[in-house]
Amino acid sequence: MADGEAGVFHMLVTGAVECGHFPTYNNLYCKYTIVFGDHWTATAGIEEGVSQIASRSSHHPGEFVWNFPIDITLKSQLPRGWPQIVVAVYGLDMFGRDIVRGYGTCHLPVTAGHHTLKIPTFAPRPTTRLQHILGWFLGQRPEFYESTFVAAGEGREVVRVRSHGHVIVKCNVAFKDFHRLGFHNAPSNQN
Amino acid sequence: MAEVFVFGQVRGASGFPQRSLFCTWEAIHGAGWRLLRGAGDGRTHVDAPAPDHDVTWAHPLDMHFAVQSMQGWPKLGFKVYHQDDFGRNELYGYGVCHIPMSPGSHTLECACCQPSTSGIESFYQSLVGGSLQLKSDDAVHTQVDRFKLKTKTMGTVHVQLNIVTRGFEAYGIEM
Repeated sequence: MADGEAGVFHMLVTGAVECGHFPTYNNLYCKYTIVFGDHWTATAGIEEGVSQIASRSSHHPGEFVWNFPIDITLKSQLPRGWPQIVVAVYGLDMFGRDIVRGYGTCHLPVTAGHHTLKIPTFAPRPTTRLQHILGWFLGQRPEFYESTFVAAGEGREVVRVRSHGHVIVKCNVAFKDFHRLGFHNAPSNQN
Repeated sequence: MAEVFVFGQVRGASGFPQRSLFCTWEAIHGAGWRLLRGAGDGRTHVDAPAPDHDVTWAHPLDMHFAVQSMQGWPKLGFKVYHQDDFGRNELYGYGVCHIPMSPGSHTLECACCQPSTSGIESFYQSLVGGSLQLKSDDAVHTQVDRFKLKTKTMGTVHVQLNIVTRGFEAYGIEM
């Protein structure tokens, strides 16, 4: 079946960026972006959002609850370029400057139903010790030009990071016409 | 022609002796397979994680294969390196992970091993550093000359893969 006449399938994703686990930080907020390939289009909903600033609680140290909703419908002809959710967690340092605390990415689930995604996060490291010290004074910490950089494999080899913490995303996924187009996302051993 | 979509992540690694690690990966497939779109190899960033954290690469893969023959179902080959404070890279292990045949979501663990030596060479190695490398990476995923090798156990690479297939049932293939 050629790409042009194959028709489209729809994918509905609804859920929330529920919480993050960052033991040594305080006052964090989270930005999410849904990144997809050129065969995909968003038909309804918002592709990115920024949450409120959450402070940590004394009962659950290191836990930051955002409960930031995600609701998006996508369509595509082919599964390649499958959508990913990119999260970027920012925090304020002691001078009130925005500092990135971690980036993370994960593909959205390939099967329908309820899913919990645990997304480990990492922040870029300065190349030299001197830059590390200067960055602390001048507030110029290394960060990616676009947070969606982490959703692609190109250019990653020149980056050094320190991974720390994770973000929990809960989502429900439903498909329309995925099987009708001949795609299989589960083993066919039922019959 | 049947199609296979493979997408997911090289998530990270655990169990290696040092923690500042990166890896290179490549997709290895038979002659009846053609990579239509997507990178077939790559290199991850270098991660030196926080003390209580596993090495995280989160390196996305997205491959679209056209298949003429089931023979030569693709595998992922990994080479894990350690990068020290001076930026020197040292090979820490080879690993191969078979891409699952069944459609759906899979979490895979790929065990790695490093070529090792005994006697005086390992003594030199402990003094000047460095590690042995295979002349050809083919030895990792073929049976050729394997009995001559001596290896030692290293850590595990964690991979998360989603498989979507299309068109296999037209050829009577059940998965």
